[in-house]
Amino acid sequence: MINLFYIAALVAIIATVLAITRHHAVHALLYLIVSLLAVALVFFTLGAPFVAALEVIIYAGAILVLFLFVMMMLNLGQDAKEQEREWQPLRIWIGPALLSCILLALIIHAIMGEGSASVVTEEVGPKAVGSLLFGPYMIAAELGAFLLMAGVVGASHLRRREFQSEITGKEES
Amino acid sequence: MTAADLQALLPLLILAATSLFILLGAAFLPGHRTAYLITIVGMLVALASIRAAVAQAPHLVGEMLVIDAFALFYIGLLLLAASVVTTFAYDYLKKIHLKAEEFYALLTLATLGGCVLAASNHFATMFLGIELLSVPLYVLIAYVFRKNDSLEAALKYLILAATASAFLLFGMALIYAELGTMHFDGLRDNLQAGIGERRGLLLAGIALMITGFGFKLAVAPFHMWTPDIYQGAPAPVTAFIATISKGAMVALLLRFFGAIPSDQSGAVFTAISCIAVASMTIGNLLALRQTNVKRIMAYSSIAHLGYVLVAFLSGGPQAIESATFYIVSYSIATLSVFGLLAALSNADGEPETLAPFKGLFWRNRSAAVFLSLAIFSLIGIPLTSGFWAKLFIFIAGIQSGLWVLVILLALNSAIGLYYYLRILFVLYSPTDELSELSSTTSPLNRSSFVILAALTLLSLTIGIHPAPLLELVKMLVTTL
Repeated sequence: MINLFYIAALVAIIATVLAITRHHAVHALLYLIVSLLAVALVFFTLGAPFVAALEVIIYAGAILVLFLFVMMMLNLGQDAKEQEREWQPLRIWIGPALLSCILLALIIHAIMGEGSASVVTEEVGPKAVGSLLFGPYMIAAELGAFLLMAGVVGASHLRRREFQSEITGKEES
Repeated sequence: MTAADLQALLPLLILAATSLFILLGAAFLPGHRTAYLITIVGMLVALASIRAAVAQAPHLVGEMLVIDAFALFYIGLLLLAASVVTTFAYDYLKKIHLKAEEFYALLTLATLGGCVLAASNHFATMFLGIELLSVPLYVLIAYVFRKNDSLEAALKYLILAATASAFLLFGMALIYAELGTMHFDGLRDNLQAGIGERRGLLLAGIALMITGFGFKLAVAPFHMWTPDIYQGAPAPVTAFIATISKGAMVALLLRFFGAIPSDQSGAVFTAISCIAVASMTIGNLLALRQTNVKRIMAYSSIAHLGYVLVAFLSGGPQAIESATFYIVSYSIATLSVFGLLAALSNADGEPETLAPFKGLFWRNRSAAVFLSLAIFSLIGIPLTSGFWAKLFIFIAGIQSGLWVLVILLALNSAIGLYYYLRILFVLYSPTDELSELSSTTSPLNRSSFVILAALTLLSLTIGIHPAPLLELVKMLVTTL
């Protein structure tokens, strides 16, 4: 099943290069989604189905939803629709769709195919990940919690009204 | 986790709890003074708890962290520096009337990241420590938003630190792919077999990691961010970046490269010596033309980290001794300089250019004396700690036969004299417009004065009687 790995990795590389080189944020975003899905498939072929699922849920799901919110907030204008149409002509979907089709074909092949889809014999399931995370890596998990706290506290400071008025140059009301 | 684990981790646990208490305090007992008191008490209790942790050292905590005398020494140093920065920040923030609870929470979290780095023994804790040190700094740099400089600085730091983290991660992945271990001791055991047979991936991994470390240490050619961020950040935060962030990275570097056996002909050695030479030269030459005190200090810090790398390259126990001694001395002097900038600032801003310092001696004797002695220490004039620090680097370099590096270090110290003396010259130059200039700097208040006097006394004490610190530093080597 090593071929699955190579094709998925190739798709990931192509999609990432395209994501970096696009001029519009929306176009880059489309390729980024494909890239993350391809990386998930790479994890799957390497015998880590749980991490693959996390990759899809957290990166392709949660983080890109965040992107979507930002886009929504930025596009709240009169001519937003006009801009949207200008940004996303139909042909822009072709590239990402093509790459996604390759990934779809791969995953169908992996599921329908005989034997294990992974290149390694031993698969790492959720239980193994959990026992590692709360066993030897417990300190790392706790440090991760403090890292998130630092992010939350920082964000709550930066969204202060005084800060925003300072940036936009408006007087505080 | 066993009781022994908890006892060994006590300083880190107390520091982590302090950050939570600050946030709880912000919710139930809001107030600048409360937040400050919780922070300073937490840090001092954590400092005191090192005594309890020493009883367990050396102690491995689940392979991720190692609490030995070396780690505890650096944790103590970082905690001391952090409490000094906290006190400077209290005076600084009081002048500008800004909600400040988050500042202390972020400062404590960043210090926790530094302490984790000093004790890390595994790629995972190393990376988390670096991130925990960086993420609060993004916000702290932009904390006082009275000028666009700070926002620009924060954004620059964010982007460059994220890039450096990417380099580090990629390097870690390559090393893991080659050796199959993320543990520093595992690296050492695997590399004993010989670095020569497995070049390729391993060297690429180490090169990527050096890039990431280089950014954090601000050594040339990864130094571009330093002057802008030193200038844009509030003075206490600059003090934090210059001492705690760099001190923690030096501790990590000593431990990490202690795990990699290197000889003087190796590629790693060559790369780091090129970085050391570039840092010393570029840092000192670029500082010559600066007229902003914070930018002068930024470029001079690049040069100082270059000197530390020379100590580091001399290898063996004297590398750890001289690098640690230098970091202690450099931290004391740097904290004094930035602490003074913070103390002299007023609600409108900090004295950054040389103009407000003109004739400072005639207006504010104690401030001028503190600044002069800190600069003497940075130059390396006898009777200050900087003299011994530089001397030990010379001795370590000569013992290892690093003649080129030692000669360049001496030449660069001579270049450094020029810009340091220029600051001193300005401090003591006579001034006629006393009344006009006295409004640009505010007088020192009591807590800043006490801390600055203590730092200056410490520098002089080490300068006159370096034996106790040297004994302490020598003791660390035996445990690493």
